[in-house]
Amino acid sequence: MDYLYSILILIGLFIILASSFDLVIGHCGLISIAHPIFYAIGAYVSAMLAKHNIMPIPLAMLSGGVVAFVASALVAVPALRVSGDYLLIASIGFQLGLIELAKHIHEIGGAGGLTNIPSFLIRDYGRESYVVLVLVLAGLTVLFIKWLTQGPYGRMMAAMRDDELAFSMLGRNAIWVKVSVFGIGSGIAGIAGGLYAHYFRFLEPDQFGLLQSSAVLTMVVVGGLRTAWGPVIGALVLQLMPQMITFFNLPPSVLGPLQGLIFTGLVLVFMFKRPQGLLAAPVIWTGKAPEKRGA
Amino acid sequence: MAVLEIRNLCKSFGGIVVADQIDLDLKAHGVLGLIGPNGAGKTSLFNLICGVVPPDAGSITLDGLSMEGQPIHERARLGLARTWQTLRLFPSLSVIDNLMLGPRDYSADRLIDVFLRPTYIAQREREARQRAEYILERTGLIAIKDSPVMDITYGQQKLVGVARALMNEARCLLLDEPMAGVEGQTYALIQKVVRDLAESGVAICVVEHNVAFIKDLCDEGVFMFAGKVLARGSVDQLIADPHLTELYFGT
Ligand SMILES: Nc1ncnc2c1ncn2[C@@H]1O[C@H](COP(=O)(O)OP(=O)(O)OP(=O)(O)O)[C@@H](O)[C@H]1O
Ligand SMILES: [Mg+2]
Repeated sequence: MDYLYSILILIGLFIILASSFDLVIGHCGLISIAHPIFYAIGAYVSAMLAKHNIMPIPLAMLSGGVVAFVASALVAVPALRVSGDYLLIASIGFQLGLIELAKHIHEIGGAGGLTNIPSFLIRDYGRESYVVLVLVLAGLTVLFIKWLTQGPYGRMMAAMRDDELAFSMLGRNAIWVKVSVFGIGSGIAGIAGGLYAHYFRFLEPDQFGLLQSSAVLTMVVVGGLRTAWGPVIGALVLQLMPQMITFFNLPPSVLGPLQGLIFTGLVLVFMFKRPQGLLAAPVIWTGKAPEKRGA
Repeated sequence: MAVLEIRNLCKSFGGIVVADQIDLDLKAHGVLGLIGPNGAGKTSLFNLICGVVPPDAGSITLDGLSMEGQPIHERARLGLARTWQTLRLFPSLSVIDNLMLGPRDYSADRLIDVFLRPTYIAQREREARQRAEYILERTGLIAIKDSPVMDITYGQQKLVGVARALMNEARCLLLDEPMAGVEGQTYALIQKVVRDLAESGVAICVVEHNVAFIKDLCDEGVFMFAGKVLARGSVDQLIADPHLTELYFGT
């Protein structure tokens, strides 16, 4: 049963990660794959705040999100001022650099990992309650992103993706839109990190590296960019598939690279054969309130 | 006082001089025609005014405010609007949504408002929609307002480009070849819209190869060649000058 709960929680967390990543890469068109580092920042910040009894766990989780938001803005502002392409390099540098740094900070467990993170809800209400919490938050994330991208802010993102120069010439501040969306997506990932930390109660820097990046990227590409349900389907498929591989009892030294190969292979197959993903986003942006259209 | 003042503007790309000590004023209520052969630097001048490319030297002021170092979007917010020779519409938006992004202050410019002030956002969206519908009415596009911009004719797309620029309620409007590839009804519509706009006090500059259109529309013309403003005067005067005609058509 615990195994099933863990899988459900991981699916919920990956739905949050994939949806928020789709906001960044799909809706806003920002090329970055460093999403897991903001998940890590949220996880570590929340774990440390709770471990040292600085604040109650729900507040610690929110703080993790805030720190991830701020960190992402600090990466994005200088990078995006140089150029959009620079964000990819700057964010990967930040991701790998921070992981290396974390391995050498004794206070947060170093390379061996941070243990004995306080658990949340489980002791009083059972593991089921945590599953419910994570799945509800996953649902809210999907709805929030759908709401945001269908409103006037979504119209801005669609136009900016189409033609940034024409967009700027209308008086819209493209850098500001990008930094804001990057911050929101990263902040959501940070909150998901806190949710991870207080259930699994163990964090290790290497969890949040490029393998994790390719997993989240694959979920979004396979599910379908800029669709509300695409990241959900992607998270389900990609989370269940490795679980099935583990049934073959392969040694970890084979399992890790094998997963990486599968992710990369899937991304390549989809990019060439079905770039729109399993669910295709509509070509034309049409916000909500369909009653005003096509009367 | 001129709405837009350009002084000693210089720019070259490597060896190509696109702006050579340009001095130019655009006045309220005026429509200035910018004429010159291909490669004269007309579009480059617009790009310099809008901040798309930085100048090597010189100054540009809008209503007396220096625009030096201002990014593109800030200039737009000061009241500068333009159309593009290559249109640059937003292909994944409908006609009206292309326009809805055009007000100087857009409803969702501040993300915090989206979260905290839904009634403010709704109000601004309503205002923008009303203004967009009014402009679409005037430009004869209202019937196709919900069509994707890629599904309409080229002439209609040109009109959408102009209509989108009108959303700004700009002080200064730059039109880059609004008539190229346009004929008949659309031609007359663009002409009327530009004329009305000038009457309402906007300073307008039109780049155009269509001399008949320039003659119909503009109070005055400027002849550009190799980044230089060679002459300014009535359009008839410019066309009559054998030296300019020779430069225009080549020898
Ligand atoms: N960003 C740039 N980098 C390098 N060269 C450029 C750039 N922009 C324009 N040029 C060059 O500057 C010259 C002037 O170009 P510009 O587009 O301003 O001409 P134009 O007067 O608008 O011509 P047309 O009537 O054909 O539109 C051309 O030779 C062009 O190749
Ligand atoms: Mg040109």
